[in-house]
Amino acid sequence: MASRWWRWRRGCSWKPAARSPGPGSPGRAGPLGPSAAAEVRAQVHRRKGLDLSQIPYINLVKHLTSACPNVCRISRHVQASQRAIALIAEMIHTASLVHDDVIDDASSRRGKHTVNKIWGEKKAVLAGDLILSAASIALARIGNTTVISILTQVIEDLVRGEFLQLGSKENENERFAHYLEKTFKKTASLIANSCKAVSVLGCPDPVVHEIAYQYGKNVGIAFQLIDDVLDFTSCSDQMGKPTSADLKLGLATGPVLFACQQFPEMNAMIMRRFSLPGDVDRARQYVLQSDGVQQTTYLAQQYCHEAIREISKLRPSPERDALIQLSEIVLTRDK
Amino acid sequence: MNFRQLLLHLPRYLGASGSPRRLWWSPSLDTISSVGSWRGRSSKSPAHWNQVVSEAEKIVGYPTSFMSLRCLLSDELSNIAMQVRKLVGTQHPLLTTARGLVHDSWNSLQLRGLVVLLISKAAGPSSVNTSCQNYDMVSGIYSCQRSLAEITELIHIALLVHRGIVNLNELQSSDGPLKDMQFGNKIAILSGDFLLANACNGLALLQNTKVVELLASALMDLVQGVYHENSTSKESYITDDIGISTWKEQTFLSHGALLAKSCQAAMELAKHDAEVQNMAFQYGKHMAMSHKINSDVQPFIKEKTSDSMTFNLNSAPVVLHQEFLGRDLWIKQIGESSSTEVQLSNFQQMLLSTLLSTA
Repeated sequence: MASRWWRWRRGCSWKPAARSPGPGSPGRAGPLGPSAAAEVRAQVHRRKGLDLSQIPYINLVKHLTSACPNVCRISRHVQASQRAIALIAEMIHTASLVHDDVIDDASSRRGKHTVNKIWGEKKAVLAGDLILSAASIALARIGNTTVISILTQVIEDLVRGEFLQLGSKENENERFAHYLEKTFKKTASLIANSCKAVSVLGCPDPVVHEIAYQYGKNVGIAFQLIDDVLDFTSCSDQMGKPTSADLKLGLATGPVLFACQQFPEMNAMIMRRFSLPGDVDRARQYVLQSDGVQQTTYLAQQYCHEAIREISKLRPSPERDALIQLSEIVLTRDK
Repeated sequence: MNFRQLLLHLPRYLGASGSPRRLWWSPSLDTISSVGSWRGRSSKSPAHWNQVVSEAEKIVGYPTSFMSLRCLLSDELSNIAMQVRKLVGTQHPLLTTARGLVHDSWNSLQLRGLVVLLISKAAGPSSVNTSCQNYDMVSGIYSCQRSLAEITELIHIALLVHRGIVNLNELQSSDGPLKDMQFGNKIAILSGDFLLANACNGLALLQNTKVVELLASALMDLVQGVYHENSTSKESYITDDIGISTWKEQTFLSHGALLAKSCQAAMELAKHDAEVQNMAFQYGKHMAMSHKINSDVQPFIKEKTSDSMTFNLNSAPVVLHQEFLGRDLWIKQIGESSSTEVQLSNFQQMLLSTLLSTA
């Protein structure tokens, strides 16, 4: 299944139409014409990392979820517009990663150098904007205003998620809710809404749309929780990005928040965002000593079970089984 | 001054010439009389400009204003404002941009929104397609067109903010601490993204895929245009090896596309036909291009050349001069002039006389 999907992904291409400065048909997007813009395109390809081992999970989900129409017996085939949603989701995700890497001043991503390290911050930001505009053009061309509304919500959520990350809450109880909200906005919203978008395109039943959305949301949150766990338990080679990255950025993720319940002295460190020398290492020690990692993993399992419960409401099909398998893979991945 | 004359005045004040075609005026407007009477006006002082702008704002009822955007009420924007305040005292470009947005008395930053509103009113409702009859209209402009004007401003300002990102590895000690620049970059990216996200949301609410595609492609053009701007040689002692037609293409991307496609989109929202949309596009494009060319020409027509006003070696007059002279001779001329003020003003004088003799 993965190899078939890989062949499809290789074959799929989205080419902008030829450009003319005149209006003509309104949506003529410029090809990335002159050599300068071709450089930008090269950056985009490098960012997307077209190796099988590095295919983001998001795209898998899109492909599989587009099998939702099976429920409605409308078509067994994935529509072109649904494929487009998968592409668009990937593009939005990439654009946000490019900008995030500049914001975090990151040097590596998916085992490679980041765009900002190779070409500088100015070009990185412009590259992110370009990808976003390309995604918007593709989205408009699908021609469905509901789908446009759903996916622009994602863009807004991504930005708001970044803002949530800037701030911090003093109250312990508020902190966890804040963390979950940030996790939803930054990670799960994209998956949930793109699942919903493909289901809207495939099937008119709002019950199905809600199932797709809930599946995506739960898988997304579980995915991010495991990502936060791996930041503590894995080593940099496997992850493709440096570990303890979250602590170094001053972020208090799931394991830290759970550990704080056992070691209240972490409160002060959280509030000052691990800014004093030695904070990062001490916090890491606390987390590894506590059951923070286990608790976060358990929480992720809960979300996965919820996702499976939702998707099981669809009628049996090979695609549904694949989606169930996928949410289990989310829990057991090690990078 | 009445409305038709105002729309004709605007390009003149910006240095354009020639009357726009009148074929698409709304039938409720009278034909224009004595167009020639305003050609005698040569006053282009800022005060006069302000007067033109405030009259325009009266005509459209209420202007697009950065301050009226609903995103101003959001937590994020007050968060941004708080963060930008931390940048005071640093040299990050974001501070300059922010100051310009708040204190700009020239109002040039809101030009785009105003032009979109004016053109929406000028065209009026479509006489052919009456499906918009139920849309609400204030001062002759549909609310969706007002929303579009806001979105245009949002996109423009977002890219203005993103233009201010600095490359960290090119910093010198005179730029101040690295941390300040990093922080400034972070806030600049977030603010720009926030504005773009609001623009996208606004576009989605318009429920018109053609308009979404138009504005998204305008954004893509703008990004490419800014990319070209940044790619000009860092030393800035030499003009790029381009002719004026390439310059026009690049300037269309960085300056013309947004206004052109916005004007076209405004017509689409009122369901005007392709001919009207095309005319709106051309108006927006030429308006924006003439604005850019006008500002390029300014350093060469200042009365006092001792002002030592710098000019961009990739601005229109210079590129034209290079094309007439040939690149080798031009590079030789640049090499012959040194960096002292006296010779720089001679340099400008020489350019000016060349341009005037070939005009």
